[in-house]
Amino acid sequence: MSVGVPLSVDEQIVRMKTAWPTFAVHNVSRPDQSARWTGTCTPQFARYRLEVRYSFREFPRVRILSPALIRLPENVEGQLPHVYPPADDPTLCLFDPTANQWDWSMPIADTIIPWSLDWLACYEFWLMTGTWTGGGRHAGDRIEPTQPKDEP
Amino acid sequence: MTIPPTFDGLNPFDDPVDRMLAEIALSLQLPPSLRRQVDGRYEAVRTRLESTDAFAGAIEHFYPQGSMAIDATISTRGTDDEYDLDIVSQLGGRFRQMQPLAILLELEAALKDYPVQSIRRQTRCVTLNYADNMHLDITPALRAYGTLDRESFITHAKGPAQSVDDRFVDMNAYGFARWYQGQTPIERRLAKAFDEHWRSLDGLLAKDAAEVDEIPDATHFLVKNTATLALQLIKRARNIAYEGMAGRIPPSVMLSYYAGLAAQPNMRLTDMVIRITAWIVRDIAQASLNRQTLHVANPVNSDDVFTDRWPESIAQQDAYASHLKVMIKGLEEMRDHKLSADAIGEWLRKHFGDRVVTKAADRMGRNIGETIQNARQRYTRTGGLLIPTKGVGVAAAAALNPAVTARAHTFFGKKI
Repeated sequence: MSVGVPLSVDEQIVRMKTAWPTFAVHNVSRPDQSARWTGTCTPQFARYRLEVRYSFREFPRVRILSPALIRLPENVEGQLPHVYPPADDPTLCLFDPTANQWDWSMPIADTIIPWSLDWLACYEFWLMTGTWTGGGRHAGDRIEPTQPKDEP
Repeated sequence: MTIPPTFDGLNPFDDPVDRMLAEIALSLQLPPSLRRQVDGRYEAVRTRLESTDAFAGAIEHFYPQGSMAIDATISTRGTDDEYDLDIVSQLGGRFRQMQPLAILLELEAALKDYPVQSIRRQTRCVTLNYADNMHLDITPALRAYGTLDRESFITHAKGPAQSVDDRFVDMNAYGFARWYQGQTPIERRLAKAFDEHWRSLDGLLAKDAAEVDEIPDATHFLVKNTATLALQLIKRARNIAYEGMAGRIPPSVMLSYYAGLAAQPNMRLTDMVIRITAWIVRDIAQASLNRQTLHVANPVNSDDVFTDRWPESIAQQDAYASHLKVMIKGLEEMRDHKLSADAIGEWLRKHFGDRVVTKAADRMGRNIGETIQNARQRYTRTGGLLIPTKGVGVAAAAALNPAVTARAHTFFGKKI
């Protein structure tokens, strides 16, 4: 995926407001081109409060503010899969940075937020069944050839 | 112009909690492959009886009763793959002059050496136990002439010798089934969604035309409405609550009566379970307040008392009401998104049994994972995630977030 023209933080704000009315923007800094959003979602069973921190300097970081994420010790996927440390304040890892799946030209409203909902849906079934069904890979896993996707 | 409301029902696979409950119900139901066998077995038994001298020309009607008549069959108490099915054999001729025990003995004798694993005469019926864990109860009945269609007297005799307790018991299972069907008309959207889901799981091809005429209400849909799905869940929760306990349990026919009474079109499955359950709780509370046991009779025959053997005491009915209140509270919390996924899993396993809930969660988990990996999911503007099904309804479609479409991505990160 090629890197396009980066969106300004104002463009991100407008896009977020249009797509996700339950999210509110905070701490907007135009000099830094950064902002923070918080909002609620209910992907499947429980209601969550999310925080997205965005800036031009680093990939967006998504935290689950509430409720606290539940761990499954001894699980084959680790006690909490597909996150970035630290363990006591994990952020969600929603895309493979080596596969160019995200860059600053993409609205977080179209990528980071829906991917967070995907993560939460998979997380809930992982809690129920112990199996992560959303696919993906952990850092250090061997990269498998990409499987063709079914047409919707 | 006012558009009249349609009562097609809601697709139970649209909402995650409804979907989980529907998947559980699906795991409890008589699978279509066995359902097809039921019709064959039912015909084979009738043919066998009619070929005997004792029953030739004496069978006036041979019809399903109980859960089979209203398509609410689930696995038997304490099991995950055993099914009890009931047939009424309405007899005429010389049987009308016979005593209850004599009729039961005659039925048992006529079925001797029938090719099943075992045959057992019971107090009111003769049971055929098939090797695949299906149990078919055949209840002899004598028509009560001059009353509503098929109102009958069924045999009651413990045996092996005649007793003063032997008697005929008034019943109208046929009339009740008709009443239930009238109260719970087919909800096409739900029936279609369920039918498609069943077929995708069961690997069924085109519907078996031969099956259609055999099914009680002449439709090929095995699940017809939300109230019956809810009834199956309530029956299962009762089975689990009373598992391992001796004595009688709240009768299925009483639960069916409440499902028929509370049925209302276009309700969510979760809300329907709550509605039926709350109705029972209210009636028990009223009876207990009056220092009486709950009295529920067949709505088409007041002499056919559904609560004649349960509850035996006020304490017994209050215990069941307490169990139902716990159910209502849990379902409300789930519906209102107040429980975490692991708490939901634990709650469901406690109330519906480990195996069926694990099966349902595994099935849903696999489905959601495949959907996300193939970017087929949809989002709502309020942060919901929908898994498309063939029967997605208008209500769900209207709530979709038109601004966002799913994109493929790869979960990454570390195991912490």
